[in-house]
Amino acid sequence: MDFEPTIVSFLCNWCSYTGADLAGTSRMKYSPNIRIIRVMCSGRIDPTFVLEAFKNGADGVLLCGCHPGDCHYQSGNYKCLRRYNMLKKYFVQLGIRPERIRLDWISASEGKQFANLADSFTETIRHLGPCKIKNVIETYT
Amino acid sequence: MEEIKIGVYVCWCGTNIAKMVDVDQVVDQIKFLPDVAVARNYKYMCSDPGQDMIIRDIKQHHLNRVVVAACSPRIHELTFRKALAKAGLNPMMFQMANIREQVAWVHTDREKATKKAVSLVHAAINRVKWHESLDKRTIEVNPATLVIGGGVAGMSAALEIANAGKQVYLVEKSKKLGGYAAQLDLTFPHFYSARQLIKPMIRHVEDHKNIRIFKPMQINQIFGYMGNFQSTLQLANGDETKLKFGNIIVATGLQPFDPSEITSYNYGKLPDVVTSLEFEKMLAKGRIETCEGKEPKNVAIIHCVGSRNANYHEYCSRTCCMTALKFANQIRSALPESNIFDLYADMRSFGKGCEELYTQTSRKNVIFLRFDQQNGLPEIRSTNGEEAVSMLIEFTEQFSKEQVEVPADLVILMVAMESHADAKDISHIAGISMCGNSFFIEKHPKLDPVATTSDGVFIVGTCQAPKDIPDSISQAKAAAARVLATIHVGTIEVDVITATVNEDICCGCQTCVSVCPYKAISFNKEKGVSEVNEILCKGCGTCGSTCPTGAIRSRHFTDQQILSQIQGLLSPDNKFEKM
Ligand SMILES: Cc1cc2nc3c(=O)[nH]c(=O)nc-3n(C[C@H](O)[C@H](O)[C@H](O)COP(=O)(O)OP(=O)(O)OC[C@H]3O[C@@H](n4cnc5c(N)ncnc54)[C@H](O)[C@@H]3O)c2cc1C
Ligand code: SF4
Ligand code: SF4
Ligand code: SF4
Ligand code: FES
Repeated sequence: MDFEPTIVSFLCNWCSYTGADLAGTSRMKYSPNIRIIRVMCSGRIDPTFVLEAFKNGADGVLLCGCHPGDCHYQSGNYKCLRRYNMLKKYFVQLGIRPERIRLDWISASEGKQFANLADSFTETIRHLGPCKIKNVIETYT
Repeated sequence: MEEIKIGVYVCWCGTNIAKMVDVDQVVDQIKFLPDVAVARNYKYMCSDPGQDMIIRDIKQHHLNRVVVAACSPRIHELTFRKALAKAGLNPMMFQMANIREQVAWVHTDREKATKKAVSLVHAAINRVKWHESLDKRTIEVNPATLVIGGGVAGMSAALEIANAGKQVYLVEKSKKLGGYAAQLDLTFPHFYSARQLIKPMIRHVEDHKNIRIFKPMQINQIFGYMGNFQSTLQLANGDETKLKFGNIIVATGLQPFDPSEITSYNYGKLPDVVTSLEFEKMLAKGRIETCEGKEPKNVAIIHCVGSRNANYHEYCSRTCCMTALKFANQIRSALPESNIFDLYADMRSFGKGCEELYTQTSRKNVIFLRFDQQNGLPEIRSTNGEEAVSMLIEFTEQFSKEQVEVPADLVILMVAMESHADAKDISHIAGISMCGNSFFIEKHPKLDPVATTSDGVFIVGTCQAPKDIPDSISQAKAAAARVLATIHVGTIEVDVITATVNEDICCGCQTCVSVCPYKAISFNKEKGVSEVNEILCKGCGTCGSTCPTGAIRSRHFTDQQILSQIQGLLSPDNKFEKM
């Protein structure tokens, strides 16, 4: 059977979640592998959330916030960007491919961009194959 | 601790959800999960019978948590929270799973869609277990209103509120009130003089004891939240004025498209190619003439300049077809012997009295010619004095499919309506979003077209979308009614989704103080811990994900709530079983 990746996506309420809703109201089709969790701002995305997702079997994590300068709370997305860069470095040490996490900006009007992003990220992860970190954790703990 | 009892309701949304998600299967998969006391599916959960079902179950089965899997929480979260409150439950003991916008409408494989729906519902069930009762905070609404922009929309809103006896601060960027409507000659479809409509309105606004006008003036920053905003204006004499207001109406209006972007029209190079706005000014002066001061024999009007074209703006500017017909009538009256050519892509004459204006105009010897936007735009070129006419417009006429040349001494370009260049700045200042076309986004495109996702901030007139004067005024008066309603009630209840610091865990590192964009956290030196000012905190949650000790709790988005949501989302129990 083909590998179907499981992807957890954290979306900020004001731009990205609204953009994903717009993809829905416009009936755009995208891959069903993405499962969305809503946070008020991308600045709320705690690195532990991302790790928890991988620990529970996610193959990829997608973070989305408002475009730079457009955060509803002024600067949460810049903090998210810094954590993202930090997480990628940390991933290398953990033995997780840094491509398994991705950050992108989606505005409230970018339904199409969200649908495309969901598809392209799913393909990236499909290409990387299943993330084994869950098994590793289960074996050693 | 009391036993957790969750009611789970899966909505069909008619066929919207049920067509792509097997709702029976979803219920079957989740009904045995721990703490789920009731699980049902129903045709329309948001309907009265749907809500009554929840209320009845809460009472009968002593439910203390509710999950509804339906549309986006952005649409109906409040509806269901109210239902919980009606049943005597704290409204925050509720969680929604979005299985319409983010499942049924975007996926095509029923099995995969159903499986995803199961995992979203499982995540919501896990999360709601950790929800806690939160009290609303009641805040007083400052009865003054800030209106940004003094065009017809802004002035109408200001007058409506001021006439109700409430204070309005009207901030206008330019030296004059009235906006573009004040620059027009006559108005479609009844040919009322714009000046006679707008002048008295401006006078009213200027003389009103409840309206304080600031012009020319720009607003740089607004602090606060619905009910209690404030801003500081820099006056021309160097002084500052501090304003406090409870609501904001944004009416920053439009700007005309610059047609020099379209090379085939040669605007800016051929002096007798003018924009619709320039032509209005010519009409207002009382004489239609070429740049050399001659009466034009041939006048051409070109529609959709910068509109309905993927290279410029995809949207229709809504007012230019009617303005073009208005021009044709005015030209015919002023120059009875002239040839009038109306080059249109489609004739959009919706609106009261507008189709009638089209019929009436077509009887006035106006030559209507259709071009096809998709197959290239008309080309305007100069005859360099070699012919009796100064310009020729070449294009393929769509009905005959023939290449035609239209003579012209004067060409009027019906330029698109764009949102004002300041829209981006205003969107940041007022905390509202812009659509891909730079117009402001309403809270709901159908159900709430004047509010925005920022409570207490409303959008009226052409800053929301292209529209004519009556539509701008209707929207302005609707927003005024909304504002007056909140002032009348005097208080509003807001959710307390703020951050709190656990003093026992806080190590005093003050990292949170440095990340809060609203300076809502301060360090208490005596206690050696940080403290959140709940009035200033907007609940973004950034401090919560920054605090190294985990001392900060982001209410309603706590670590525990989100971590359990993730676990539910990825649970190996989320299956689809073929029946
Ligand atoms: C050529 C032309 C012909 C038209 N003919 C007709 C017609 O015949 N009939 C009809 O019904 N409609 C007509 N319209 C449409 C009509 O002009 C608009 O519907 C109307 O002007 C919209 O009013 P508004 O208040 O939304 O915007 P505007 O008229 O644009 O007013 C906005 C105001 O906000 C101010 N502003 C902008 N930014 C800021 C800021 N940052 N701070 C403070 N103030 C700011 C501006 O200076 C301006 O005064 C026509 C439009 C054009 C272009
Ligand atoms: S109103 Fe008419 S001229 Fe204006 S954009 Fe729409 S179709 Fe084109
Ligand atoms: S970041 Fe956390 S530990 Fe540090 S001062 Fe703030 S609340 Fe206390
Ligand atoms: S939640 Fe956001 S606004 Fe509130 S204190 Fe924390 S950082 Fe500041
Ligand atoms: S609200 Fe969207 S990133 Fe902050």
